[in-house]
Amino acid sequence: MGRKKITARKNFPLFFSPAIILILFLVVYPILQTLFLSFLSSSGEFVGLSNYSEILSRKDILNVEGFPKWPPLGALIHNTIWILIHLPLSMFSGLALAITLKDVKGSSIVKSVIFLGMITPMIVAGIMLRYTFTERVGIVTAFFDVLGFEGLSKTWMAYPNTALFALIFGSVWLWTGFSMIVYSAGLATIPKEYYEAAKIDGAGPFKTFRRITFPLLRPLNIVVITMTVLYDLKIFDIVWAATYGGPGKASTVLAFEMWLQAFYFFNFNGAAVIATLLTLLTSVVTIPMIRYMVRR
Amino acid sequence: MKMATTMETVITVLVLIAIITSAGSLWYGLSVAGDISKLTDSMADLAGEMGDLATSVSSVATSVSELATATAENLAAITGDLADITGDLSDIADRVTEIEATLTPTITVISGWAGAEMDAFLPVLERFETLSGINVKYTQTRAEDLAPILPAQFAAGTTPADVIFMWGWWIEEKGQEGHALEVTDLVDTTDFLPGAFDEVKVGNTIYGAPWTGKVKPGIWYRKSFFAANGLTVPTTWAEFTTLLADIAAIPGIIDPIASGDGVGWPLSDITEQFIITYGGPQLQRDLIAGTVDWTSPQVKTTVFEEKLVPTLGNFSDPIEWTAALDLWWEGDYGLYPMGSWITGMVDDPTDLGVFSLPGNDGIVFAIDYFFIPAYTKHPEEAKELFMFLASDEAQRLQVRAGGHIATNIDVSLDEYPAIDAMIAGLTTGKETLLDLDDAIGGEFQQTFWDQLKLLWVSPGELDNVLAAIEAVAP
Repeated sequence: MGRKKITARKNFPLFFSPAIILILFLVVYPILQTLFLSFLSSSGEFVGLSNYSEILSRKDILNVEGFPKWPPLGALIHNTIWILIHLPLSMFSGLALAITLKDVKGSSIVKSVIFLGMITPMIVAGIMLRYTFTERVGIVTAFFDVLGFEGLSKTWMAYPNTALFALIFGSVWLWTGFSMIVYSAGLATIPKEYYEAAKIDGAGPFKTFRRITFPLLRPLNIVVITMTVLYDLKIFDIVWAATYGGPGKASTVLAFEMWLQAFYFFNFNGAAVIATLLTLLTSVVTIPMIRYMVRR
Repeated sequence: MKMATTMETVITVLVLIAIITSAGSLWYGLSVAGDISKLTDSMADLAGEMGDLATSVSSVATSVSELATATAENLAAITGDLADITGDLSDIADRVTEIEATLTPTITVISGWAGAEMDAFLPVLERFETLSGINVKYTQTRAEDLAPILPAQFAAGTTPADVIFMWGWWIEEKGQEGHALEVTDLVDTTDFLPGAFDEVKVGNTIYGAPWTGKVKPGIWYRKSFFAANGLTVPTTWAEFTTLLADIAAIPGIIDPIASGDGVGWPLSDITEQFIITYGGPQLQRDLIAGTVDWTSPQVKTTVFEEKLVPTLGNFSDPIEWTAALDLWWEGDYGLYPMGSWITGMVDDPTDLGVFSLPGNDGIVFAIDYFFIPAYTKHPEEAKELFMFLASDEAQRLQVRAGGHIATNIDVSLDEYPAIDAMIAGLTTGKETLLDLDDAIGGEFQQTFWDQLKLLWVSPGELDNVLAAIEAVAP
């Protein structure tokens, strides 16, 4: 009895149609609607790029006059600062922890504790951060107080020059668990023979890391970098809970400004502009990653 | 001869034919007769069978007749039963209606009061439940958190509660948009303080009602703390600055004044007192109306540069306001600027003392307002609660719990705890004013709060702070 050979290519439309329909309705349509909204006035008239001009000229979004002074520099710059500090710190601390704990007995318990930051609700984490950096209450301020750093033993969230950094350092604690787990998984896939060969050849730990570990973890770097940048661009909860973007907008970020525009000022067109900008920025990060993954 | 012979032959043939024909006819006739005989027999049989059939039909007819009689009797019985059942169902329906009349829906109330403030408010709702038989569910959500939620709910034609406490300006705005029920006929404005409805009224149409109010009289102290340290209430600016210096010198004191921080509003309250005291009550009104700039000399110089900013060194960093209340009460700080509601939040209200900034002749009387969303599913019950909350009885229950000043003029001073009676007395001889940021609301309010938090820790940013506030001011 002859059996029809089913080819995946032939049945592409059949298999993909449920997912495509959902994506069209739940992703593509809202994106297009948001984009459309960003070109309209509150009364529904087409206004071209004037919403973009208005939003980008707001100091809350981009405070060019803030240079070379410190915050507030606007949400766009704050998000950039967040990426520049948070990405390398969480990436390398995760890598360092993964390598350090690799062959340690009982390391899974330590890893679980570190990973707790990832599963803590961000609102809860924001409130925890608020107290962690509060004078005479938080562990961080107490630590600097013991060391005699008076300037860093104050309430970080209350001051414009420290509020953003308190949030960023707090988010390093929250996110390091992610990079640690990813790198731990990557390390487990590297054959031990490579390390044995390197040892026989007389390679030291640093050289082994540079020549073997780091190159073989490169695909995971792409994942960690992409996911971390996306996390940094979309950050909202801990800002809302810990500082409300203040003081004086010193710790505001794009997602928080979008929320303010939409649900506090009821300027949905302005919120659509920020949402569109955020989509573009995240696309800049995700599209190269998707292309890389597809090539592999 | 030949002819005779022929004739004989013909005749013979004809005779033969006749004979044959007759014989055939006879034979045929006989056979038909036989058939007829058979037919007769069959007909006789048939007649017999028809007789039997007729008998059977007669029997069936009798049976049918009997059955019809029985059926008719049964139908009559069933009809009787159905009538009984219908009667029973009617009784049940009447009973259900009676039960439904006693089972009233649960209506929901939302306000921002939690903790001790909520404990003081719940007896009011319990009293309403007792009087009306209507169940009330209380939910706590801050006004600043409701503000972003409610518009989306209203746009969807729904509401999270049947009666909601919210800012007056907000209720007025939503009322005009059709999201709040008009309640003009539910309240008698003459029962309330003059102007109490101004924030929720458009022309002659009223969209909400005033609950109690809270005055923001200035700066609180513990009488025991002042007595123990030989401190006295200041009556001049010089005495005030001396007091701050004296408190700062007391061992164990972290800062003379605790700065409460919510999303920024406790700082705005003390700032408004500086504006009213050193800029004058009219300046507060002008700033609300937008007729004076925040960067103008009478604001920037007279209020901020000469008075508020020089004293900021005596304030603590902003601390979450309930935590600040505890720290102040425990003696980490000497003074605490806050509204009158703290009288219901401390262990010993009799130990509370309060003074206004020296020279003050205006006081903010911040009224809490409530309204009925247009999308309530229980409008009648909601209106009933609305009318109760607008009554002197409800306000009397609230002021007895402390921390509230009635807006209903039928509530006498005898109803107040001693400390609140004293606070109510503070308003005597002073102009009562609207809360500045509550009256303007929106982006101004958020910016005002946020910029003051910045000013508190960075007084050198005064120009930028005032410029930022002015940019969003009316």
